Amino acid sequence: MLTVDHLSKRLPGGKLLLRDINFSVGEGEFVAILGLSGTGKTILLRCINRLTTPDGGEIVLTDNGTPLNITQSNASEIKEVRRRIGMIFQSFNLVKRRSVIENVLIGKLGRISMVRSLMRRFEDDDIEMAHRALNRVGISDLADRRAGTLSGGEQQRVAIARSIVQDPCLLLADEPVANLDPTTAEVVMEHLRSISVDNGISALAVLHQPELARKYATRVLGVRDGVIVYDGDAGLSDDDFETIYGSNDA
Amino acid sequence: MLKNRYAVPVLFLLFFIWSVIRTGFSIRDLIAGVPNLSNFIGCMFPPAWDTFVPLISPAIETIQMAFLGTVFAVALSMPVALLAANNITPSKPVKVFARSIIAFTRTVPDIVFALIFVSAVGLGPVPGILALAIHSVGMLGKLYAEAIEEVDPGPVEAVEAVGAGKLQAVHYAVIPQVTPSFVASTLYRFDINVRSSIVLGLVGAGGIGFELIMAMRLFRYHEMLTILIIIFIVVMLSEWASNSIRAHVIGEEVLK
Repeated sequence: MLTVDHLSKRLPGGKLLLRDINFSVGEGEFVAILGLSGTGKTILLRCINRLTTPDGGEIVLTDNGTPLNITQSNASEIKEVRRRIGMIFQSFNLVKRRSVIENVLIGKLGRISMVRSLMRRFEDDDIEMAHRALNRVGISDLADRRAGTLSGGEQQRVAIARSIVQDPCLLLADEPVANLDPTTAEVVMEHLRSISVDNGISALAVLHQPELARKYATRVLGVRDGVIVYDGDAGLSDDDFETIYGSNDA
Repeated sequence: MLKNRYAVPVLFLLFFIWSVIRTGFSIRDLIAGVPNLSNFIGCMFPPAWDTFVPLISPAIETIQMAFLGTVFAVALSMPVALLAANNITPSKPVKVFARSIIAFTRTVPDIVFALIFVSAVGLGPVPGILALAIHSVGMLGKLYAEAIEEVDPGPVEAVEAVGAGKLQAVHYAVIPQVTPSFVASTLYRFDINVRSSIVLGLVGAGGIGFELIMAMRLFRYHEMLTILIIIFIVVMLSEWASNSIRAHVIGEEVLK
């Protein structure tokens, strides 16, 4: 449902960060992206929802049999693409001074009229849906709290609820648990996996810990020097590990 | 090195001496003027208390001028600030244009705007309100734009990532982040505008300032003192009011 073909991206300084990235993600897959820091894993995710514009190659998202060419999209088509792709950020990116429920409703902004959104009036159905999403990630009691007062794990769960409400076909997660303690990280990963499985949403997550990939992902992509060097089973052997991260004494 | 060390103090001293000579500033004249000054102040006492109540109406007019001037200034400054802020502006030419508006309105003193508007629309509070509204854009536009440039880009990106437009991203992710700083800047400008609106009254833009210049021209010194007392009360009241609002807003920040 997602195909990335010969994708390349140059840094502003001219350095070629993504050289030639090729992979595809199937329906309902949970794919972990592993690799050393600075190998462009985040940039790769950002190319997929066009927060970053790639320099070459093609990305095609197929939703309900309709192919959308992400790399060829114009401004309004990009919005259409983004509506179908949820994104979870390392730093949660909630609007801290607004309530939790309003942060969840932000997930609906791509689908409601401009006038309605500027009046901050949401349909009852949407509010109901937002409450259900909070309930699913186990924090329905926090709906009226200010987002900034929540703990990191709670904030990331609000962000997941925001993506649930968006009803995407693909979920991107950029180091979703890097700012969380190990126990909270497990809770958040569990939620990500369950919405992927229950809603049939494909997921693509940049992770830093191979153990988390092994536990939650159905497949691993290893990125090194701007290309995919590993594409396969989430249980990495020592050799696979070295292929992705290099040898220990390097 | 020795030369550089003395250059600034020497230049300062030379400019100071030149300024004293050129402006004719002399302590002797000042001392000679003391009897005149005390005579003038003596003439003002006692304040004409019978004029106190009739002067409350122009005092309220002064506060209302400052209030309306500030409200219109906020309405003008917000769009200008959004267009001037590096992270929101649609394009560089637009940014340069918005920044020119801010620089221009700040450079031209409010009293100059007031004089222009008085000759355009006549005496009264309206030219004063217009002058305050436009001159305040210079300060509020700049402070708002700086606040906008300091927002955390993360939430803005998150809103854009769900497929929302730029305007929605501003409304949902930028505005909430800048609200406390907007409130503080606006209240600060309101305090300044209360004082400015008194001065603008002197050039015919209504309010208590206009009463002050009229009393002065008609040699009604007792009335002048009453007006000065009222001005003192007005300034104290407006500062108290804006401090209370500020404390309320900041208190809310701390609590939640």
